[in-house]
Amino acid sequence: MKRSGPLFTLLAGLVLALFMLSVNATTGTGSSSYSDAPSGTSEPTASPTTGAPGDRPKPGRTATPTPSPTPTKKPPADGRYTGRTDDDSASVAITLRDGEAVAYFCDGRATESWLKGDVEDDGSMRLTGKHGAKLDGRLTGDGARIGGTVEIRGKSWKFTAPRAKKPSGLYRATSEVRGEKVDGGWIVQPDGSQVGILTRDGEPAKAPRLDPDTGTVVLDDGGRLTARPVVP
Amino acid sequence: MSVDPNAPTQGGFPVPPHAGGPPRPHPARYLVPALVAAAVAVGLGAYGKVHDPEGTAFNLAGFSSTSAVKSWLGTTALGFALLQVVSALMVYGRLPGPSWSAGLHRWSGRIAFLVAVPVAVHCLYALGYQTYSTRVLWHSLLGCFFFGAFSAKMLLLRSEKLPGWLLPVVGGLVFAVLTVVWLTSALWFFRTFGVTT
Repeated sequence: MKRSGPLFTLLAGLVLALFMLSVNATTGTGSSSYSDAPSGTSEPTASPTTGAPGDRPKPGRTATPTPSPTPTKKPPADGRYTGRTDDDSASVAITLRDGEAVAYFCDGRATESWLKGDVEDDGSMRLTGKHGAKLDGRLTGDGARIGGTVEIRGKSWKFTAPRAKKPSGLYRATSEVRGEKVDGGWIVQPDGSQVGILTRDGEPAKAPRLDPDTGTVVLDDGGRLTARPVVP
Repeated sequence: MSVDPNAPTQGGFPVPPHAGGPPRPHPARYLVPALVAAAVAVGLGAYGKVHDPEGTAFNLAGFSSTSAVKSWLGTTALGFALLQVVSALMVYGRLPGPSWSAGLHRWSGRIAFLVAVPVAVHCLYALGYQTYSTRVLWHSLLGCFFFGAFSAKMLLLRSEKLPGWLLPVVGGLVFAVLTVVWLTSALWFFRTFGVTT
């Protein structure tokens, strides 16, 4: 006679795990301390089923959105956009996925902001970040660029961000180095240039260079970080 | 195919009672649990490594953060795991125990496992397999290993005629790994952020 209790135990664990994964995948952004994501973003509604965990975004693969066979409502195509403010003082990068957007504004010295929000079907977006940061943007009809304004701490910049291909885009690393909380954000431009801010123990400073191919960042003190592409 | 371990050996050389080697079970008795364990551990690690960590997952009401929830769930699991060790000693007669110690062992194990599953799901879904510090590396590695070892332990329970030392060793391994996983996560959390909810 074989005992079946252990099998039931394993199955129960598997079912529980799958249940929790599905809850996670469907609730989207919850309240979590792991995410330093800006608060006050609107909750995503009815995310398409393609947003399953493990589903990697494929930004920049297709230059034009593939025509949909059915005339249903369709969110703007996924993609990554990188550009600069019109006064060339800071970089802006936005990643779109499944009708949601995450943006990063970074001047490479002290001012940065992560912003999040939904993308409307007409390609417009109003993203919000911490401390009242705002980004109003609009995707052009052909999906070639996003233009708009960013407002952070009362200052406002106009920006244009053309569509970019991997490895351009926005990257983030949050970790702990010798007990110290480290949070870095980078924007890699199509020409290979990059800006980034690394905040260590609440002190923002110019970030060390990020290797866009591997995501590796070597800190001044020899510590290493791994930055990952940011997706909504 | 099965071999009757009690069949008399041919050749007629004397086999002293209780001194002969244990009957050799079919290799599948070891192989299947070992392969399943490897598949579970590698599969979890690969999932955590390959997919982009989502960063967020739903939180439970009443806790300040998901890491606090996980630390308490992990601590609960460790508590039941300690009960596992004690009840196992009772089952094996090394400690005086009640007649229901076997049931206690089974159910404390189930609870410990089911409490640990949500923690692992959150780890792998929201954080992924990470290597950015020694603590995190060992936690990632052993966290995956734990579920593999646990699967092996469960599958070994279904086999009979195993060497007597095997289950205690595998069970002890599962317990030791869980302890390190707890030390590198919940204890670290409590020491860093204080014992908070």
